Amino acid sequence: MSDAKLDATSEHTGCACSLDASRRNLIAATAAVGGAAGLGAAVPFVASFTPSERAKAAGAPVEVDIGGMQPGELKTVEWRGKPVWILRRTPEMLASLKKTDDLVADPESLRSDQPAYVKGEARAIKDEYLVCVGICTHLGCSPTAKMALGSESGISDSWQGGFLCPCHGSLFDLAGRVYKSMPAPDNLPVPPHTYLSDTRLLIGEDGKEA
Amino acid sequence: MSFKNKILRALIATVAFATAAATHAAGPELRLDKAPLQFDNASLQHGAKLFINYCLNCHSASYLRYNRLQEIGLSDQQIKDNLLFTADKVGDLMTIGMRPAEAKQWFGAAPPDLTVIARSRASHYGSGADWLYTYLRQFYRDTNRPTGWNNVVFESVGMPHAMWDLQGEQVAHFVEREDGHGGKAKHLERLEIVKAGKMPKEEYDEAVADLVSFITWMGEPSQHNRKQIGGWVLAVLAVLGVLTYLLKRSIWKDLH
Amino acid sequence: MQKQAQQLLDWVDARFPLTFLWESQWGKYVAPKNFNFWYIFGSLAMLVLVIQIVTGIFLVMHYKPDASLNAAGVPVAFASVEYIMRDVPGGWIIRYLHSTGASAFFVVVYLHMFRGLMYGSYRKPRELVWLFGVAIFLCLMAEAFFGYLLPWGQMSFWGAQVIVNLFGAIPLIGEPLSIMIRGDYVVSDATLNRFFSFHVIAIPLVLIGLVAAHLTALHEVGSNNPDGVEIKKQPKDANGIPLDGIYSHPYYTIKDIFGAVVFLFVFAAVVFFMPEGGGYFLEFNNFIPADPLKTPPHIAPVWYFTPYYSILRATTSDFMLWLGIFVLVVGGLSVFSLRHQLAKLAAAGVTAVLLVAFYFLDAKFWGVVLMGVSVLLFALLPWLDRSPVKSIRYKGGLYKGILAVFVVCFVVLGYLGILPPTPVGTIVSQICSILYLGFFAFMPWYTAMDKTQPEPERVTWQ
Repeated sequence: MSDAKLDATSEHTGCACSLDASRRNLIAATAAVGGAAGLGAAVPFVASFTPSERAKAAGAPVEVDIGGMQPGELKTVEWRGKPVWILRRTPEMLASLKKTDDLVADPESLRSDQPAYVKGEARAIKDEYLVCVGICTHLGCSPTAKMALGSESGISDSWQGGFLCPCHGSLFDLAGRVYKSMPAPDNLPVPPHTYLSDTRLLIGEDGKEA
Repeated sequence: MSFKNKILRALIATVAFATAAATHAAGPELRLDKAPLQFDNASLQHGAKLFINYCLNCHSASYLRYNRLQEIGLSDQQIKDNLLFTADKVGDLMTIGMRPAEAKQWFGAAPPDLTVIARSRASHYGSGADWLYTYLRQFYRDTNRPTGWNNVVFESVGMPHAMWDLQGEQVAHFVEREDGHGGKAKHLERLEIVKAGKMPKEEYDEAVADLVSFITWMGEPSQHNRKQIGGWVLAVLAVLGVLTYLLKRSIWKDLH
Repeated sequence: MQKQAQQLLDWVDARFPLTFLWESQWGKYVAPKNFNFWYIFGSLAMLVLVIQIVTGIFLVMHYKPDASLNAAGVPVAFASVEYIMRDVPGGWIIRYLHSTGASAFFVVVYLHMFRGLMYGSYRKPRELVWLFGVAIFLCLMAEAFFGYLLPWGQMSFWGAQVIVNLFGAIPLIGEPLSIMIRGDYVVSDATLNRFFSFHVIAIPLVLIGLVAAHLTALHEVGSNNPDGVEIKKQPKDANGIPLDGIYSHPYYTIKDIFGAVVFLFVFAAVVFFMPEGGGYFLEFNNFIPADPLKTPPHIAPVWYFTPYYSILRATTSDFMLWLGIFVLVVGGLSVFSLRHQLAKLAAAGVTAVLLVAFYFLDAKFWGVVLMGVSVLLFALLPWLDRSPVKSIRYKGGLYKGILAVFVVCFVVLGYLGILPPTPVGTIVSQICSILYLGFFAFMPWYTAMDKTQPEPERVTWQ
């Protein structure tokens, strides 16, 4: 070895003067294995931040009986701690969506959060039932239903019924679509859901056809 | 060197003396049978079925979720169809309807939650599984008890024999022996089946072994996973140990 | 690239002593080059401290200090531990790391302390290093004690019950004091919540401060070594560095990393293959939720407290006579050997007061005192040891024999502490308690009498 004869100074400073190839390889290997071990050790700690089995159980899909719902009735169920609205729409309500098509920001819900099997202006598997998460896409408040029409609603004379977010005034139509130039960027999200039968709705899980 | 030997000898002698002194007065001997545990899915599923049918009526397993049984090879649908009696969701905990306060009135003591019973019953006599395996096989008829049942390893137990229809009815024959302190102690001579149950003895023992295997699994469902991960961790540390040793030698060889 | 890094470092150094701190505390800290196996435990204690703090932070995210019963009739605190073990992803690993870490901490610290005893690490000029260390040991015991209540199992509950009642033995203020510690007439939800607060923030803060003080003091005076000779008094090289000194970096960096990996191997073997430690790390009875109406048939503290627990149990009223004789002998010896008239008087006074107090106050109180004293006696070592040499390598047979007896007594006391009390066991632990106390009390005399060998000029180094 060329550097076998070290003077006292280099011995004390432990300097890099004897960083030969074999030692450099050893340092690299140790650092690699040590780094991998460190990453591995971080796994349980990072994992502990993800939802626990309790949270998952609480967030499991919810079954709802929609058999008794009257036309025009709005029902709120809790799924993953969030309000999910089920609105049984009357033919008039469905017709109003045609009128709001030009007023809303994303009429075809192209950029909004919804499953692929929910399409068009009605945003539903069965047009009669709107299923959406009642959380404003702006900053997370829950909008209130404004079902009265026209000036009676206190919103505008041409109001077709829909939802108003109390926090920053975003307006949504009866398909949960946000009106143009509102603080909220997107339509209300539609959660994964499926019909177990004509009267049983399962929220939180895609159907078999999906 | 001889001095170190002397120290060592003194140490061993003292510890041996202390051990002898201490074990001398340990309480009554508890004789446990070694539980033949089986952790394959078939045994665990059999155990789970017995547990839910025979234990979960009065005892809860309130830290365990039904869907954890996936780990012993059951699907959510199987759990829902065959095992879900008191809960409605597979993610629910195995709780029971009986309220602890009411249970205490009926039995004198509230039946304990069984989720970690196998861990709590361990002692220097044997593992918790050994205790349970012996306990569940040593119920005998005793007319002096309000339930009509007593148990060899748990004297004056509050619980009646839950699986008597399987095991049948036993009576215990005791003998009195000198206990070494001038008194007498009761020793179990043998247990005799006086009324046959649905299962012959061997079959019952196997059933209890499966049940205890399940209870042991339930005490720490991650135990299998734990040992698997542990193997990998030790392997990585061994490699790292060799590397750091070589590096240490390489760096220190500069010193003289 | 390198130039820019240097510029950044200069920028920081002009505003914060980063390079200075690194170099003075580790990088260019000159340590003797002859450290042996025993010198790893300080670094390991630091490693375990980090493990405990990190795992602790994550456990607090899921644990609930609540003694009330949940719907299933189980205390919420107990159920939350099982929640961590089952429902929290990775929770069981974190919990086992923490529970095993507690025991590992004491293994490492006891070995670290024994190293100090062997090589005279407490001697001048390292008295403050040693005192900070004793304070760390006390904090660690408090930390372990408070933490052990949190799982709210039977051992948690009854252990806390017994230890808090110890304070009740103090004359006059004892009873109100123990009620104040509990915040209730029994160990209860109030106790659980305050112990939680102590365990997760109060004691750790003090602990970290003391560790910093311990290390700062050490790096100020320099490390001792297995030969017990001061490298600072040796000839120096051209740079003013002692000939037997080396920079901690890279030499002890890599040595300690290797040691840490070996330690972690053993530690992981316990965590993954025997987390209950045969019932010594996680006691079996602690898998039963706390029941204030039913004491388990046999309760014992966790293994690291048992030597002191044995001393507590050994102090019966019969033992007071022996303790009196012991104090009389030590007091007499002191009066005989102290030079100053005033000191003689003081020693005689203290002895007399103690003897009178022994007579009037009951043994329960003295058991508590003795337990506390046997921990605190370590703090006096720097002033009790009169040997002309530091290291056991150059001490005589007398000291070696007495140290061996001390270690045996410590182990036997620890062993007896986990067993139920028996008549023979009590006598053995009484003998061991007296020998334990004697190790400290007679140290000024036997270390002065001991036939030592001369220390070498330079450290031993092959």
